[in-house]
Amino acid sequence: MDVGPDIAADGALTTAVPNDVGEPIVVPNSVWRAADPSAYQGGQAPTITHLREWEVTGDQTDNGRWSGALEIIPTKADYVLDLIRANSLWPLLSGLACCAMEMMSAATSRNDMDRFGMFPFRASPRQADVLIVAGTLTTKMAGPLIRLWEQMPEPKWCVAMGDCTCSGGRYKRSYATVQGIDRVMPVDVYVPGCPPRPEGLIYGMLKLQQLIMDRRGHWPERRIGPSVPDGV
Amino acid sequence: MGEQLAGPVRQRHSTTEIRVAPGDVAAVMRTLHDDPALRFRLLADLCGVDTGTVMQVVYHLWSEITPDWLRVIADGLDRDNPRASSVTFLWKGAEWAEREAYDMFGIIFEGNRDLRRIYMPPDYKSFPLRKDFLLPDDASRSPGLGVRHMEQAAAPAAAAAAPRRARAG
Amino acid sequence: MTADPRTRVRSLDDPQLFVETPATIYDAVPPYPPSTEREAEFYTLRDGEMLINLGPQHPSTHGVLRVVLKIDGERVVDLDPVLGYLHRGVEKICENSDWHMVVSHCDPLEYIAAMFSELVPVMAAEQLLDVTVPRRAEYIRVLACELNRIASHALFIGWLALDLGGLTPILYGFIERDEIVEMLAALTGQRLLFNYMRIGGVNGDLNHEFMSRLGDWMGHAARHVNDSQTLINENEIFVKRTRGLGRIDRETALRMCLTGPPLRATGVPYDVRRAHPYGVYPELEFEIPVREEGDSYARYMLHLDEIRQSIHIIDQVLHQMPDGPVTAKLPRLLRPRPGRAFAAIESPRGQYAVYAMSDGSDQPFRLRIHDPSYFNLQSVGLLTPGHLIADTMAIMASLDPIMGGVDK
Repeated sequence: MDVGPDIAADGALTTAVPNDVGEPIVVPNSVWRAADPSAYQGGQAPTITHLREWEVTGDQTDNGRWSGALEIIPTKADYVLDLIRANSLWPLLSGLACCAMEMMSAATSRNDMDRFGMFPFRASPRQADVLIVAGTLTTKMAGPLIRLWEQMPEPKWCVAMGDCTCSGGRYKRSYATVQGIDRVMPVDVYVPGCPPRPEGLIYGMLKLQQLIMDRRGHWPERRIGPSVPDGV
Repeated sequence: MGEQLAGPVRQRHSTTEIRVAPGDVAAVMRTLHDDPALRFRLLADLCGVDTGTVMQVVYHLWSEITPDWLRVIADGLDRDNPRASSVTFLWKGAEWAEREAYDMFGIIFEGNRDLRRIYMPPDYKSFPLRKDFLLPDDASRSPGLGVRHMEQAAAPAAAAAAPRRARAG
Repeated sequence: MTADPRTRVRSLDDPQLFVETPATIYDAVPPYPPSTEREAEFYTLRDGEMLINLGPQHPSTHGVLRVVLKIDGERVVDLDPVLGYLHRGVEKICENSDWHMVVSHCDPLEYIAAMFSELVPVMAAEQLLDVTVPRRAEYIRVLACELNRIASHALFIGWLALDLGGLTPILYGFIERDEIVEMLAALTGQRLLFNYMRIGGVNGDLNHEFMSRLGDWMGHAARHVNDSQTLINENEIFVKRTRGLGRIDRETALRMCLTGPPLRATGVPYDVRRAHPYGVYPELEFEIPVREEGDSYARYMLHLDEIRQSIHIIDQVLHQMPDGPVTAKLPRLLRPRPGRAFAAIESPRGQYAVYAMSDGSDQPFRLRIHDPSYFNLQSVGLLTPGHLIADTMAIMASLDPIMGGVDK
């Protein structure tokens, strides 16, 4: 019986056919790209999407005055609406793992998120504005989380909290985790850290408020139309 | 019970270890549990092990008589069709541990009423902790091969290909 | 039993990883026929019964646990927990990493009591390497662990009250936890996943900021415990909802492989610190709190007793702390002798154990992590039938599961 890995064997990265020993199959990622142009894999629209809301609405982005390169000077009503949305963001309780502890710490007395209007952590997605994904997303949980995202009515934003949701984090080598939630849903703010301190999360939420006021992020490119598909 | 032991009784670091054949597990466990001189009534752990050549099921027991742990290794399960008897008739709490061993290794516990996958989705086809389930590319290489992992990743000639096998059982 | 080789290996970039599998179901009834006896028995409904999903996302703060309840009106007839929504493959990752790296892979398992989940694989590695840990390091380990135990129990109290509807005790619990965790952040650099235990000792010695925060905290620690006592203990709603709920007796508790506070609340005085002593616990004086009733109220009171015992232990540790190094000298590349080791400690949830196998190389051959929440959660299927739906969360909260450990 030999000891440990066999160092002298060739790497199998060039063969396409797996042999019975189980050579690792490396499939380059040609399907998924983050929507943000400055994301680590480069910005490209994904050709295959997993979100049924995008399948339902197709390619109709909002060509109204809130998106596109030709920015029309916002009216007072737009400004006030953005102000309202930014200052009363209701998060959905989506604490999956360790980062949920820090999210709860950010919401309780010492670091208070209530002063920014984010106290009510809604349990139901129908009443929530922002989905703070706190904790590792596993492949089994990916389905329910996407369904939660689709159930949230517009306007909605997504905050990726913690390393596991930003890029896979310490579970980069795992067989059962999603390497970053921007593979499955559009993310507005990435809050790195393992776990990020509550002050870090609050900084991320303030950044989200700035995004909402500036009408940046993924939301101006959102699909319009019935974005919540039937049966969801 | 002594004749059912398949290997020597070993002792190290306050753990006594015995090996049994997989067919004798139920009888041995019942003896250990019920015998008033032994009284191993606490099941501390139940897990599966894939040594690369065979599979094992390892139980850890504790009795209030001695502060030491007792490790029972049910050795010699076939890697292609691992079957062992369940101890859920003694400890109902072993049910989930056996489900986990099934989910991760494929070990079928005869007598477990609820042997389905517990961690992976129910239609998952592989058994992740087996030694022939390899994580992609550089993850299966030892990080001790060099300090700089980037260099290892860029040099595919250093990739490991063979699944690991245990030395000394 | 052999799987197709092409389906065995998954690439990191595989887009097929997160397509909804047909069995990732949202309805309570699975779309495939039952494969086991228990599944068939559970998913067969009698007249008037209904299956309802207590889905992976729910306001109870234990994490992602899905429970399928079979209810008859408001009474729960049976329940089937579905795990795996947080399964991250830690054991497989540990098999592919260094012995030193195992500490940081294992600490998010019991994430609010990360000191314990780091300590155990370190103890197993020390058994395999025959390393003697310096005494000062052992005392610092006990100090850090007992502080973490108090923080974890404070959170337990808060969550139990939160699941019963009280919104104030959780704030108290988080204040308590934040104080201790800032103290541990001064010691280790991290609030939650400390990465502090090392094979052969700990990561760094005590420093001034930690000691000053610890001194401040010790001054009013006992008073905080009494505060939460007066808030919850005699609260009529709390007592009515927890007394007699989820009663379990000694024999059943042993059969269900319960450990920790749920076991001690039934009258079995099993505490790994006394049953199989490790570290410097033989030199410390403390009692094992035991209660007889076995219901949720007893489990809650036991947690309070344990906080008091922990404060007593910390007191003794501070008085008996010796001088010396805090870590043993070990090479960077560790190659323990081939063998097997089993290490178990008493974590706030029960007996946390690791079974480590080494094959002589620098990667663990098998690192099996036995988490107490996994076995404690099994009892929920035994305790809940007959109670109301709202009591399900109360029973689960009183068993104190952490899904990071349950799902590994």
